[in-house]
Amino acid sequence: MSETKYLETHEWYIVSGESFTTGISDYAQGELGDIVFVTLPEVGQEFNKGDAIVEVEATKTVAEAYAPMNCVITEVNSTLETEPELINNDPVGEGWMVKAEIKEMDDSGMSYQQYELFIS
Amino acid sequence: MSEIKTTSLYDFHLSKKAKMIDFAGWSMPFSYDGTLKEHNYVRNNAGYFDVSHMGRLRLNYSQIEDINYLICSDLKNISNTKALYSIFTSESGTAIDDVIFWKFEDDLILICNASNTNKIKTHLDINSIDYEDLTLITDLIAVQGKNAIDIVSDIMSVPDKFSTAKDGKYIYARTGYTGEDGVEVMVDNKETLKFINDLESRGVQPCGLGSRDTLRLEASLPLYGFELTDDITPVEAGLKWTITNNDDYLGKESIDEQLNSKQHKHLKKFNLNAKQIARTGTICTSDGVEGVVTSGNISPVLGYPIGFVLFKSNPPDDLVEFDIRGNLIEGKLLYKRFLS
Repeated sequence: MSETKYLETHEWYIVSGESFTTGISDYAQGELGDIVFVTLPEVGQEFNKGDAIVEVEATKTVAEAYAPMNCVITEVNSTLETEPELINNDPVGEGWMVKAEIKEMDDSGMSYQQYELFIS
Repeated sequence: MSEIKTTSLYDFHLSKKAKMIDFAGWSMPFSYDGTLKEHNYVRNNAGYFDVSHMGRLRLNYSQIEDINYLICSDLKNISNTKALYSIFTSESGTAIDDVIFWKFEDDLILICNASNTNKIKTHLDINSIDYEDLTLITDLIAVQGKNAIDIVSDIMSVPDKFSTAKDGKYIYARTGYTGEDGVEVMVDNKETLKFINDLESRGVQPCGLGSRDTLRLEASLPLYGFELTDDITPVEAGLKWTITNNDDYLGKESIDEQLNSKQHKHLKKFNLNAKQIARTGTICTSDGVEGVVTSGNISPVLGYPIGFVLFKSNPPDDLVEFDIRGNLIEGKLLYKRFLS
């Protein structure tokens, strides 16, 4: 397992071998307010870096989570369909959104320390 | 831009770790524990809101005829202990502001939207109506919820619904903006914290403007700046029930014309069986009639998206297609309240 990295668009991802897991940051969930609906992609769907993969509706606003690199979805956290609040309660744990197979490695995300500076 | 205003509870809100937002020139709490939790405090028990940003003007009873000329409702003939929701209308019948009057034997308290306080004061000035601005020397606390009346009865004598009261400490009315029973209490700045402590010690939770918005939307209530604007009449906003003024009043001619012709914009309620929220500004069509969403959010109680939409003319069909970020989502118009 490598370290958890962050994007300027407020996703986190963590690479494990040929795959990664991604979701949104604690800062992002705080800015969105209560998350009430999550629209997840299908397993097998392909995305390029920067494509919107998940749509998050919150009481305050709507947001999208973007692919950190070119990938194919291998698993979605379908618990979020009924318990979207997991993203608020545990964004970098139980609130993970998708796992994907890496088509083109791009591990250029920020470290947590860098991200903290970015949002401050 | 003038400096952002704060209510006397500003430091208290910060001590409660409230998320603050700028609203109509005021720094106000958006939420403390989260909008959905606060929504449920009100629906299941009781919550209190600092709404001291709203304008509070004391008017002279002797000018009630002149005041009555500026609103579409009958303030003059209701009894002296009533609270009245009404709308200041312009010459063309559109809404200058939607307000609450608290009627007493000796005076009237006018509560207006924070964004419209200056506009209302100017309107009163132009029409030679005197007022004393109480906004900065008092606070306004709304106590709302299923158990609100039981709880507040411990602190003050609660009048009937839509009625007013005052004692040495509080001036208040049994009104609200959440769809639940409750009281809205005006209190001298120096007494506010004690009142808040009295509420908290009885289990009433602090709630912010986020839940105030989801509560009012779920209760099918309009918000000025969204459902009501300088460009929308009470008829168009579905507020015909407020038009009870039988005397001549400013805008009456235009409003009567709309009532007769039915040729006007129409505000409707809608719901969606979808996981997308049709938010303010979302465009939709119903059988060729174009509309735009004025407010939209989840209904926490119902669990699906709801909202208000303003159509250019009366839509002939209940089915509406919303363009949500390029996806066409079907919704349905409702002819009753969201919560029955």
